[in-house]
Amino acid sequence: MTTVHQIIVKEKKMTTSKWFRVLGWRHIVALFSIAFALFPLVWMTSASFDQLGLVSAQKLIPDNIGLDNYRKIFNNPEAPYFMWYRNAVLISLANALLQMAIGAFASYALSRFRFKGRKTTLLTILVVQMFPQLLSVTALFLLLAEINESIPTLSFGSPLALIIIFAGGALGVNAWILKGFFDTIPTEIDESAKVDGASHAQIFFKIILPLALPALAVIVLLSFIGTMNEFVLTSVIMGVTGDPNDLTLAVGLQRFIDGQYDQQWGPFAAGALLAAIPVMLLFLFLQKYVVSGLTAGATKG
Amino acid sequence: MLKWTHKSPWILLKIFLLGALNSFTLWAVPILISNGSYVFAGYFIFATVVIDYVFLSKKRVAGKYIIPGVLLLIAFTIYPALFTGYIAFTNYSTGHILNKETAIEVLISNSYQSATEDSAYPARVAKDDLTGEYVFIVQRPNGEITVARKESSATLPRSDITLAEDGTIASATGFKLLTEDEIFEVSDVLSDLSLQAGNDEFFKLVDVGIVERLIKTLEYNAEQDIITNTQTGDVYRPNDRGSMVSDSGEELEPGWQSTVGLYNFQRVIEDERYRKPMVQVLTWTFIFAFLVVLTTFFAGFLLALTLNHPKLKAKKIYRSILIVPYAMPGVLSMLTWRGMYNEDNGIINRIIGSELPWLSDPTLAKAAVLITQLWAGTPYMFLICTGAIQALSSEVLEAAQVDGASPSKIFWKIKLPLVLYSLTPLLIASYAYNFSNFNAIFLLTGGGPQIVESGGIAGHTDILISYTYRLAFTAGKGNDYGLASAVSFLNFAIIAIISVYGFRKSKSVENM
Repeated sequence: MTTVHQIIVKEKKMTTSKWFRVLGWRHIVALFSIAFALFPLVWMTSASFDQLGLVSAQKLIPDNIGLDNYRKIFNNPEAPYFMWYRNAVLISLANALLQMAIGAFASYALSRFRFKGRKTTLLTILVVQMFPQLLSVTALFLLLAEINESIPTLSFGSPLALIIIFAGGALGVNAWILKGFFDTIPTEIDESAKVDGASHAQIFFKIILPLALPALAVIVLLSFIGTMNEFVLTSVIMGVTGDPNDLTLAVGLQRFIDGQYDQQWGPFAAGALLAAIPVMLLFLFLQKYVVSGLTAGATKG
Repeated sequence: MLKWTHKSPWILLKIFLLGALNSFTLWAVPILISNGSYVFAGYFIFATVVIDYVFLSKKRVAGKYIIPGVLLLIAFTIYPALFTGYIAFTNYSTGHILNKETAIEVLISNSYQSATEDSAYPARVAKDDLTGEYVFIVQRPNGEITVARKESSATLPRSDITLAEDGTIASATGFKLLTEDEIFEVSDVLSDLSLQAGNDEFFKLVDVGIVERLIKTLEYNAEQDIITNTQTGDVYRPNDRGSMVSDSGEELEPGWQSTVGLYNFQRVIEDERYRKPMVQVLTWTFIFAFLVVLTTFFAGFLLALTLNHPKLKAKKIYRSILIVPYAMPGVLSMLTWRGMYNEDNGIINRIIGSELPWLSDPTLAKAAVLITQLWAGTPYMFLICTGAIQALSSEVLEAAQVDGASPSKIFWKIKLPLVLYSLTPLLIASYAYNFSNFNAIFLLTGGGPQIVESGGIAGHTDILISYTYRLAFTAGKGNDYGLASAVSFLNFAIIAIISVYGFRKSKSVENM
């Protein structure tokens, strides 16, 4: 890659001032930005090991380092952290896989079949993806209130209800991206398979899906992170029962810390750090795929 | 002949899943119908029939792949969106939840009052041997024994009962008296029971062995559709907003659900209590989304330019670390930032050596929201700008270089416009996203500090979606689903306009 900069810095030897003008300031900007980017994480880590646990007295390197906050977060019956963690991971995982499956199935049909109503479906998806379910939160609440009268097990406090509702948004968000990806897989491949006697299901499961694996991974990862971060619907659907065991990390930690930053700061930091680390590692490992998914039009949400 | 092939397990699975779906529908639909949920019952039947048809037919191949997703989309995205539109035209709110019939029943049964000051009598709960219905056998102060039933009351001859030593009834001919344990078992049924005491009066069970004599103060006349207060003679008539109102303007609670036309929108426009906060919230929503996109884009773009130097060896490590805020779950980072803004010696105040009330001063709270979004949103912009810069054609830049363009000219006249152009669809999407970025507001400031005139429902940092949430779920005076939906409706409309604009833009890019 030849850019402007290469032309500028073609000279062999660099004096210190020259180095600073060309590269040094870039390091300074980068380090400054990194400090800003990492600061909350560092502060959270420090708070989680500070046995004092007060937001107002916390130091960067605490006076009395210990694991008290971690013990507290795991032994508080009013804030069942482990249940929140379990709920969040299970709901997010189930949702991510379901989102991927629904999106992949639908995109296969939209990409490979010409059927009546295809144009209408595509157009509907395009329109619907403009309206996040978040905006219908009041309607979804009232819808569940009505279901609650007939089928209480599939209503407030039910992870299944939450997952099904999220699944209702799958087509709008994912089908468009996946269809774009499926369209790039040459149809000649499935046509030759068809000649060899493969059924539509075999073509889908044995040819298209393996080829689309990177795109599917992005959908799973982004859906997983998106669900871990989802607050509104989870809070409304899982939060109205009043049972702290129903909550997820996002809603549980928010209610735990809300209004009592000074008392619960330490345990909160411990809980938040334990929740953030796996997600961040997952993200950093799959960075390359995520970035390609993002630029394809998906936003964090 | 049926033969076991490699396909058989899949066929069995299909039959099993279809069977499960059909049984569930057969089980759920009668319950839904008995509760009056006709729309849901209808949709269940429709969805099941469609799925059965598509999966049992040999022809509908595309349908097999797309129908489940479409049915879910209709149920949980399209229907709720349309339903939001409908609720916006109703008075659905705390105090207007029930239908008219139930609301009037509740009004009447809430209007029971003790008939006199001393109206609690000893009584036994019993079951009629013949009909099996629950009755109260009441000992009136004058020694009369009354059997109170749902439809009538009668006096029981003394000879039909025997008294225990403490003076309570020990047995009654023709009735089976309930023991205390039995009463507790059916206490749900009994506590709702009001039985005839004669003379338009009623008995209600207030404790084991004690009933209270009550009179109805409200009476409903179904023909004229009015409620009369039997004590004062006041007449209440239904108004067009789902309430019974007297001539003097007194409203009976609860009211019922009804469509109210444009009332919710009218309130937002005409009612001072809603208009002022609404205008403020709407203005801030536009400004917030715009400033977030502007600041994060420039920060991300400049950072991308800075790090995009071939001799900068550490740039890969820098990039990985710089996207950490993006990888951190937003809910957690927002809550962490909230702690850092703590007024009382929080870390941000300590660093800048001040005692700024970050979250309780309107202007500072807005600044806090923007600073936090700068932190949270820059990595995304940095990523997409890096991509766009790397895709810039090097010939254009070299040509400008050869022609003697200054670095600032190259920046303003070439790099910025080209990157902006290629990223326009993503920037518009980002604007639409931030327009309803609930977490950024609600988890950091909770929408606060409050706008005093709004009665505590709206805050200075509230955007439309967090305002909607507060109206619907956390408002002190009760939940106003109708008004919340009207605000949601507005939010829908604005996002739709932004998205259509963005879609046009991305189309034009594709066509290049």
